[in-house]
Amino acid sequence: MQLDRSRRNFLRNTGFGVGALALSPIMQQLEARAAGIAPKAPRFVFVVESNGLPPAHVAPPGVKRGTRRQQPLNGPAEFLDLSLAERDLPVSLEPVSPWKDKVTIVQGLSGKVCGGGHSNNFQALGAFGAGRGASGESTAVLGPTVDGALAKHLGGIFPYVGLGISGRLENSVVYSISAAGENKPLPIVVKPDQAMGMLFGSVAKGHARDEFVAKRNLLDFLREDVKRAENRLAGPERRQLSAYLESFDTLSDRQSRLNEIEHTLREHAPAPDDKYTSEVETDRLDAQFDLAAASLISGLTNVVTISSAAGVRDFGITFTGLGLKKGKHHTGHGGGQNGMDWAGVYNMIRRYHFDLIAGLVKKLEAIPEGDGTMLDNTVIVYLSDGAEGHHSRTWEWPFVMIGNAGGKLKTGRYVDYPGYGHLGHRTTANLYTTLLNVAGSNVERFGMMDPNLKDLDQTGPLQELLA
Amino acid sequence: MTPTSRLLTALFPPLALLLLAGPLVAQDDDKVAARDKALAEADRKAFEANMKAFDADVKPLLAKYCVSCHGPNKLEGDLSLALLDPDMKDSASGARWATVRERLETREMPPEGEPRPTKDETAKILAWIKAEMKRARRNFTRRLQHVSGNKVPHALLFDPEHEADLDVPPRLRRKSVEIYEVFRREQAKGFENLVGNPFTPDPRFLFKDMGSPELDVPTTSQLLRNAMTIVERQTAFRVEDGEVKPLPGGRKEFIALLDEKKPFGPEEMAKAVTMQFQRTLGRSPSDEELQRFVRLTEKNVKDAGRVAGLRYSLAAVFLLPEAIFRYEIGGTPDDDGRTRLTPTEIAEALAYALTDKSPPSYLLSMAEKGELDTASGVRKAVERMLADEKTDTARILRFFHEYFEYPKADEVFKNPEDFKPHKAKVLVSDTDNLVRWILEKDQEVLRELLTTNKAFVNTRYDAGKKKIVQYESKAQAHLSYSLPPDWKWTDEQPIEMPPGTRAGILTQPSWLVAWSMNQDNHAILRGKFVRERLLGNVVPDIPITVDAQLPDAPEKTLRERMEVTREEYCWQCHKLMNDVGLPFENFDHFGRWRAVEVGKPADGRGGIELTGDERIDGTKTEDALQFVQALAKSERVEQVFVRHVFRYFTGRNENLGDGPSLRAAHAAYRESGGSFKTLVAAILASDSFLYRTPENRETAAN
Repeated sequence: MQLDRSRRNFLRNTGFGVGALALSPIMQQLEARAAGIAPKAPRFVFVVESNGLPPAHVAPPGVKRGTRRQQPLNGPAEFLDLSLAERDLPVSLEPVSPWKDKVTIVQGLSGKVCGGGHSNNFQALGAFGAGRGASGESTAVLGPTVDGALAKHLGGIFPYVGLGISGRLENSVVYSISAAGENKPLPIVVKPDQAMGMLFGSVAKGHARDEFVAKRNLLDFLREDVKRAENRLAGPERRQLSAYLESFDTLSDRQSRLNEIEHTLREHAPAPDDKYTSEVETDRLDAQFDLAAASLISGLTNVVTISSAAGVRDFGITFTGLGLKKGKHHTGHGGGQNGMDWAGVYNMIRRYHFDLIAGLVKKLEAIPEGDGTMLDNTVIVYLSDGAEGHHSRTWEWPFVMIGNAGGKLKTGRYVDYPGYGHLGHRTTANLYTTLLNVAGSNVERFGMMDPNLKDLDQTGPLQELLA
Repeated sequence: MTPTSRLLTALFPPLALLLLAGPLVAQDDDKVAARDKALAEADRKAFEANMKAFDADVKPLLAKYCVSCHGPNKLEGDLSLALLDPDMKDSASGARWATVRERLETREMPPEGEPRPTKDETAKILAWIKAEMKRARRNFTRRLQHVSGNKVPHALLFDPEHEADLDVPPRLRRKSVEIYEVFRREQAKGFENLVGNPFTPDPRFLFKDMGSPELDVPTTSQLLRNAMTIVERQTAFRVEDGEVKPLPGGRKEFIALLDEKKPFGPEEMAKAVTMQFQRTLGRSPSDEELQRFVRLTEKNVKDAGRVAGLRYSLAAVFLLPEAIFRYEIGGTPDDDGRTRLTPTEIAEALAYALTDKSPPSYLLSMAEKGELDTASGVRKAVERMLADEKTDTARILRFFHEYFEYPKADEVFKNPEDFKPHKAKVLVSDTDNLVRWILEKDQEVLRELLTTNKAFVNTRYDAGKKKIVQYESKAQAHLSYSLPPDWKWTDEQPIEMPPGTRAGILTQPSWLVAWSMNQDNHAILRGKFVRERLLGNVVPDIPITVDAQLPDAPEKTLRERMEVTREEYCWQCHKLMNDVGLPFENFDHFGRWRAVEVGKPADGRGGIELTGDERIDGTKTEDALQFVQALAKSERVEQVFVRHVFRYFTGRNENLGDGPSLRAAHAAYRESGGSFKTLVAAILASDSFLYRTPENRETAAN
């Protein structure tokens, strides 16, 4: 039957083969770690903060760097490459100073295919665009975003884990920046307690091993039931039930794999406290970073995206936990508060994010893996869905990366690409191609080409970043 | 008939046929062979006739009008009509012929300026395509849902001469975000924060409950967790002195079954499952369903104990397809290939069209009694629901939210220093009240919405008291409406606005703020709104090569700064927006009426052009009020409104086959003196709502 065949393909392609007799990939991975063998591909963490990352804020002291003008040839024709060894990190990045040799600050990439605005939504990690939608900022999902593509390539019990905070407390799950494919947005769970349930619920208090079995029985029952309903339908409307059925197949398989690593999960599951349900956004973000670390360490996933109120519906969030009373929208419009100007507020909020990133780095560094630690095989990518500013125009898009991906990336540097349209100018699509290549997916390019750069080579990874 | 067997027959009519035909056929193999032979012979004849007709009638026309662009030499759209196989049964050409059919029906092809076939010639080609599709037993009509419904030509939809067959595929739609929200509030009362809404609307569509997103792993996984969370509450217990007692939220009936001292056999299991069915699905399980649930329960009791056994079975009820999806499948198709939704499907579809709740009991009993079997019966049911005080009106008000989008005002950040009294929430609440007031009168609803010079000011609707109360005693909302500073609040609302300052929703502060930027009006988006939602045209998306930005020149008016859009390249699209967006320059970006902008007289001149409708093209207006009055007078605008109401209440974009339903709905609206209720009832009682045109099973199997 055709549908069955496609479902099998689906399972095979996503690495969910049912009934694998040999050691499952996740067990292999965990055993390999115990045996001192490094994984073949690195893990990825994307930290996406709303409201833009002004280029000046990531330039180390002494390096003069303003926002480039909104026009072609808006920067130097040369590629700039500075070592961070002799330099301090800018104030908001200071928390990761101890790992300066693993940091790469990337400036000068453009992302003009994205529409710009308060948020570039899915376009930020997707490097695609179709101009602006009806409400100013397009929420179109024209293809996979880089985290979605990496998740598909790397697989895992949870191929993708999306965690975050939303300015709207009533939200549980938002679809804002990540996608598995065209019109397939991926969920960002914005309630840490719900994320905890999703990731570690199987070993939460009160859930005996018996419950695994009961859940399996339930899933089998529902599969059976949906299949019966499916058989009664003929036309394309049947597809709806097939999709529902496929999701049960995946969940059922996930359930048995969670079962396999029960001990690891118990060992690494975080202990939820007040911050998991706190109304204070900094607490919730903190909890999400805990969950991100725990799910990477226990082998639940290889790709985590943490959204700090990214996306056009949330970017105005107020960081009350840092003593602020006015939201980021106010700051973006040049408003200062608490004796700081807007830049001071930006830096303070970002520094908090880097405190959390440093915490994650520390946890990964504490877990031995191969010849080194898990940190050696992890890449953390920090960016803003608002590109270079509050009202982004995407002529440039700063990034901060931590981790050398098992030596595949050359780190400890500050690099700045030539201005838009100059020979050697590159786009965010090239950076994402680089990440996919580092992960072992040898794609030529990712996202969409910028039609205004048709005279430049837009394919391939950023050679300058590769070791 | 049990509900399941009814569903089965409804969903799978061929099965019923087979059951009837089975014994007869089995008795006589010769007869079968003879019938097959006759069928094959008929098919061969039809094939020959169609191919002959193609060569004689169609091929010459294609050669004359199409092949110069879609031919062997030039392949526009990668389509060669010189080579496209006329045999749709044994080739893969059918889908492309369907495209040809659509282009001809909408008169998109051949393009303007090229020689076009006469009406008779077009009819000839179309008749042949339909005949061959019928022979091939494939309905290739394109199911592609235009994301912009406006792409279907307005003139054809409302042309009484234009004929097109009904084309509505059967649907299985995931329940809407709001339906789940109601479920969540009912089932997870007191612990709503533990049960998240797993659904998200498809952002591509104008109205939230359109399209039909498929269920993916994260959604299903959340549904599963929600089900478990709710069931854990339903069965929360503690043991006190050896007695099992319910915890808050625990239901006695379920808890009683958890007492290990008491029996928990098939009978008890069936009772619990039946209760859960009735509470969540509004029906009892069939015998066969019960058996399967009891088997599941027994298995889980054995594998995981009594508590898990009960809980997982109760949770399963929440996850049955019926609990997740809305069925719009219908019964056996008639000779025209049309099938009417089953009475229970109609009851459910009506309930979810008008509210976010499952059908009220009287609607179900009407379905059972056969009272929904006629269009007039359905209309009566709709009228009854609309007249029923218990009917929740939230979904109806939401149409106006999603159509005018004035609630967006609350999301537009305004610097508090610029105008302190600005409170978007109050403005939105005021407009809600205005809409309610107009709906209550139910006369010339659209015209009133667009032109009333009355407004509610600083008001809130108190649902308990059923009356308008002051939103906030300190709110200075009247300043947003440009009322005198010493204006005193009154409960005699709505109040008349100062002469010459307001006319309907598009001049209400909430709408103006919703369609503004942080520090300025947004004439372009306003123009896009008027162009698409009132005039029914299509504005292309901004091309990605455009870096759309107006010059920063504080000494200039917005109209002056928008002069840059007159550059030829920009103007191709901006000509659609500027003149229909700039009339609102009579207001500032907080929605206050103004006489002066940066030292110059405020300029609200505008006009209507390029609608493709000669009845309004060429209109010139002096200010916002004149402009909206002109819109309100236009029959086209009224028809475009009808199209949007249709989309919202059917949950899909219209196609040419909906022309008759739309025309009838518009006529009903007119005859009733502009009654919104009559309009909605006409749409819900139309063939477009009640019938489906399934594809042939052959197609599905391919």
